[in-house]
Amino acid sequence: MDQQNTNSNNNQPRAGFAPPVREIMEYSCADCGATNEIKSREPIRCRECGHRIMYKKRTKRMVQFEAR
Amino acid sequence: MQEIEWNPPENGSTYNILNEFVAPHIESFNALFDDSGLPSGDGDGRGLLSLGVEDIGERVVFDGNGKPDDGGWGNRMRIWFESPNISRPMVPDKDKHSTTRKVFPSEARERLTSYRGRMTIKLCWTDPAGERHEMPKDCGLVPIVVRSKLVRKHEEPEEFGGYFIINGNERLIRYLILPRRNHVISLLRPSFAKRGPSYTQYGVQIRCVRPDQTAVTNTLHYLSNGSAMLRFSWRKQEYVIPIMLILKALVGASDKEIFEGVMMQDYENTFLTDRVELLLRSFKMFTLKTGDQCLEYLGDKFRVVLGTPDDWANGAVGAYLIQKLVLVHLKSPRDKYRMLLFMLRKLYALVSGSCCGDNPDSPQHQEVLLPGSLYGMIIKERLEETLNQIRTNINTDVRNGVTVDFHDKKYFQKVLSKVSFDIGARLSNFLATGNLVSPTGLDLQQASGFTIVAEKLNWQRYISHFRCIHRGAFFAELKTTTVRKLLPEAWGFLCPVHTPDGTPCGLLNHLSRTCRIVTSPLNVAHIPAILATHGMSLPSTTISGTKNLVVQLDGCVIGWARPATAAQLAQNLRIWKTEGIHQISLDLEIGLVPESRGGQYPGLYLFSSRSRMMRPVKYLANGRDDQVGSFEQVYMDIACTPEEITVGVSTHVEHHPTNFLSILANLTPFSDFNQSPRNIYQCQMGKQTMGTPSTALQHRTDNKLYRLQTGQSPVVRPALHNTYAMDSFPNGTNAVVAVISYTGYDMEDAMILNKSAHERGFAYGSIYKTQVVDLKDMHGAAKSGTPTLHFGLGRTYYTKFGDKPHRCHEFLDADGLPFIGARLASGDPIAGYTDDISGRTEFVKYKGDELAYVDEVRLLGSDAGDSELQKIQVTLRITRAPVIGDKFSSRHGQKGVCSQKWPAIDMPFSESGMQPDVIINPHAFPSRMTIGMLVESMAGKAGAMHGLAQDATPFKFTEKDTAIEYFGEQLLASGYNYYGNEPMYSGITGQEFAADIYIGVVYYQRLRHMVLDKFQGRKRAGGIRFGEMERDALIAHGTSFLLQDRLMNCSDYSTAWVCRTCGSLISLGYQDISLGEVATGDNASLLQTGPGGEYCRVCRAAAQQEDERARQALAAGKEAPPPPQADVRVAISSQHVLGTSVKGGDLDVVAVPYVFRYLCAELASMGIAVSLAVQ
Repeated sequence: MDQQNTNSNNNQPRAGFAPPVREIMEYSCADCGATNEIKSREPIRCRECGHRIMYKKRTKRMVQFEAR
Repeated sequence: MQEIEWNPPENGSTYNILNEFVAPHIESFNALFDDSGLPSGDGDGRGLLSLGVEDIGERVVFDGNGKPDDGGWGNRMRIWFESPNISRPMVPDKDKHSTTRKVFPSEARERLTSYRGRMTIKLCWTDPAGERHEMPKDCGLVPIVVRSKLVRKHEEPEEFGGYFIINGNERLIRYLILPRRNHVISLLRPSFAKRGPSYTQYGVQIRCVRPDQTAVTNTLHYLSNGSAMLRFSWRKQEYVIPIMLILKALVGASDKEIFEGVMMQDYENTFLTDRVELLLRSFKMFTLKTGDQCLEYLGDKFRVVLGTPDDWANGAVGAYLIQKLVLVHLKSPRDKYRMLLFMLRKLYALVSGSCCGDNPDSPQHQEVLLPGSLYGMIIKERLEETLNQIRTNINTDVRNGVTVDFHDKKYFQKVLSKVSFDIGARLSNFLATGNLVSPTGLDLQQASGFTIVAEKLNWQRYISHFRCIHRGAFFAELKTTTVRKLLPEAWGFLCPVHTPDGTPCGLLNHLSRTCRIVTSPLNVAHIPAILATHGMSLPSTTISGTKNLVVQLDGCVIGWARPATAAQLAQNLRIWKTEGIHQISLDLEIGLVPESRGGQYPGLYLFSSRSRMMRPVKYLANGRDDQVGSFEQVYMDIACTPEEITVGVSTHVEHHPTNFLSILANLTPFSDFNQSPRNIYQCQMGKQTMGTPSTALQHRTDNKLYRLQTGQSPVVRPALHNTYAMDSFPNGTNAVVAVISYTGYDMEDAMILNKSAHERGFAYGSIYKTQVVDLKDMHGAAKSGTPTLHFGLGRTYYTKFGDKPHRCHEFLDADGLPFIGARLASGDPIAGYTDDISGRTEFVKYKGDELAYVDEVRLLGSDAGDSELQKIQVTLRITRAPVIGDKFSSRHGQKGVCSQKWPAIDMPFSESGMQPDVIINPHAFPSRMTIGMLVESMAGKAGAMHGLAQDATPFKFTEKDTAIEYFGEQLLASGYNYYGNEPMYSGITGQEFAADIYIGVVYYQRLRHMVLDKFQGRKRAGGIRFGEMERDALIAHGTSFLLQDRLMNCSDYSTAWVCRTCGSLISLGYQDISLGEVATGDNASLLQTGPGGEYCRVCRAAAQQEDERARQALAAGKEAPPPPQADVRVAISSQHVLGTSVKGGDLDVVAVPYVFRYLCAELASMGIAVSLAVQ
């Protein structure tokens, strides 16, 4: 509900540029650990508990360093 | 012990002792709000803030609309505060989503904000009809101590609080030593004599503390004419009043009363009679006879200074002065009068030499400034200032003729809108900077350095912050070292071992392990009556001062007693308090100062106030626990061990002989075997060790954390290691140490690391650093309103596929944030953001020089959780495997630098095939005498073989029962040599060494000073400092060319113009002319310049002046006076004069170090001219 409001507010184009394509990223709440999908320009707030800190999740990329 | 580790209690702490040592921090803060433990007669259970607000009182203003016959003041308005309150930290009301309304400390820490709650207060005032109005006022968000109600939320399992969180940093107010409250000390200070004519070096001083913990110091100065002056300060301004004026004003005492009061039947004492007579006679010049006259006189003089209501009579102002500033710990004037008489008697005793000066540097006369008390004082003062501001604003309006209507609520609102009520911001600022901004100075000697960061460098350092106690910034500048001296009076209260060496030595101390600080007031109202029934005489005029000792309770004369009776009373009190009879609290301090010839002024002084240092010992008379204070301890006989008890002399015995050491000093194994400075060094190095800073590392946002990856529990440990749960925070590794001179790389405290041990992870560590990216601070950020910068990559960078994806995709995800585990080198992007205005995507770079891995990325929301992402916090991990040049140390002040990682195949080995992890040089021992380390080596070896955690508590062994014997037997039992040495074989030749090698297990700490930090990231790309001592070496070798080359040519070589005439380096001027041209002055005279147009401004001005003077002299027909000369002359040899061939100008170019120019400019700013003589 509140989510939509924020979106419509931020959707208005500014200074003649089209808003960039949104990529949905997943974060986990620092308090309850719930996974939250937060789009760019959405408020940082947990949907479950309302907490205000998110951690970035572990990457699914292959991370490989040379071990020497 | 394992049982408790596996099944920790559901609520409450496992190790309660950890809560005990921060208790004064938390309890003193709690005392601001709730004193509910207070018995009646000693307080009312409302907390210090309420007491403070009461003491502020009310301010009175008039609207100036009155008729001349009623004084012309007009309508009267009283303004005051009521019921201050601070709520617990809460989510703002705007936020409708949060399931928990409370804010926890962990959030403040992680979001880099402050942990604070809202403060409110009731502002009350009366309208002209006398009707009372009130209005709640918001005083902003006040930082709060993380505390008592244990919050188990992303904290340490044994979190004990005691600190504030300011912008994500843990800060605490440290203890400060203050003069003992409500006790008169005699002082001999030559500086007193410089206060004015007829002042002498003699004085007595008392620091009086009100119930709300604010203090006023009163000093009584002895004048050479026999009288005395009372000194106090009000708003940083000092005032002196003749003592007679105060004595008369207090109780309206007649001259006879005062004479009898000071003499106390001692009419034989002509020294005293002479002086009291002079005292009385000297007051005749004031022609004030009655007490009321004195009050009126005082009121008249102090009316403007004190800012009392206009309609008060002078007498009332005088009474207010005495109530506010003279012996403020006492309420009744009669008590103040008696105390002043006592002060006079002590002063005269000091002058006559019948008592000595007290030592203000001795813990006997000291107490502790509690963090909560200081916090309360600041809040009180801010509130008082706010009230004063309201008064000033209304008075200004009245003076300026603005319509002032006390009936009109709107007017009052308008006045309030001009006054800042934001106390929270002031307190945040105080905690963040440690600076005290105060109009009164709060009776403290310093204005800064009150708060420190509780660095979680490692656990030992962290807990030491809560036990450290500072003498005061004022004493740090003192040239004399007397304040730093370790005094016997400090025994059991301040640790003799745990103090830093260097500048803060002896000023920054740590409390002994068992030292407590009293934080709650005691029930003492009934004590005078009990003492009176046991032989104390109540104060009266017929008591002989020579035969009786004074009995004081918290700086109030409650009676007099014969010396024998006083001793009996003291003993009774001690028995009562240890056995809980007559409701006498265990924390009552019974200071019996016996009669002596020229010693401390005798008496029975009882203390029940807060802030005193106390420590537990055993009372021998009944075998009960007793608490002993620093005042009474001086006159007590406390045996260190039960064996030491001397019958008839000892009254007490220590619970444990190591109780006088601080927690850290107690953790040094076998410290009684070491030379004492080595134990001091270990206390330092224990705090610089790379250890385990926290067990909740993933929830920490500290700027820098050091972590030892594989810390171990030491094999050899004092018993207190377990008591304080130090195993949760390991600080080092058990290493097999051989004491042998083997490779030649172990000279001068170098040590050799076994390369294979290193490869298995010995002493591997990492550093966690924080980088915060706040878009608000970026270039192009909107100052207000909706943000224009957003985290994320713009269209141009959007795709990470295709032929040539942008390099940023190696580090960043599409949200513009780095992924966990990304490896960053210097200059790599750590975040990307787009700008709405320009449409461009910008990158924030990783600034460090070392390779770092992203460990955690935090997205930080706003307070109410209603704004988009603007701030992130990235935790970076920097790997730090031990390298050559890193510093290690055992727990005995034996530090060394790793000089080689020696291959395991070349290491020496024992008969069983053991190789050492560490080799140290035998020369480390003879001069340092750290026998404790040798014992630890044996104990460690035996403990490792038998699977024992060896008890290394000091003072356990004796001459008859030696440690060598004990551990030697253990070693024998496990098949080793008795003394811990073994035959060993060379790793290179395989031959047995001629001597047996001392080898054992020693706990090694890795210190945080690492070579990588010493040169990396320094200004000159990895240059190592060529310091003063290195310079001295070159001078000593006579290598002047090298010196010139390194320190000048390759350093800050520069060329400068210097004037040949005046030798000035800083007076260069340029005339804008081309070659061959000539400049002319105002009066068409030729101006001399060099070929480039350069000239000396000083000399030109002097020449013009000279010219002018010569003209005038010529006109008057007189000789011209010579020009003035410069003060400092520096000779520059001809080889440094580069531009000698320049003709025409009188400037030369010389080579000078660039700092020399700064020096010349700085000297010039102080009015000193430097002149270079160019040859």
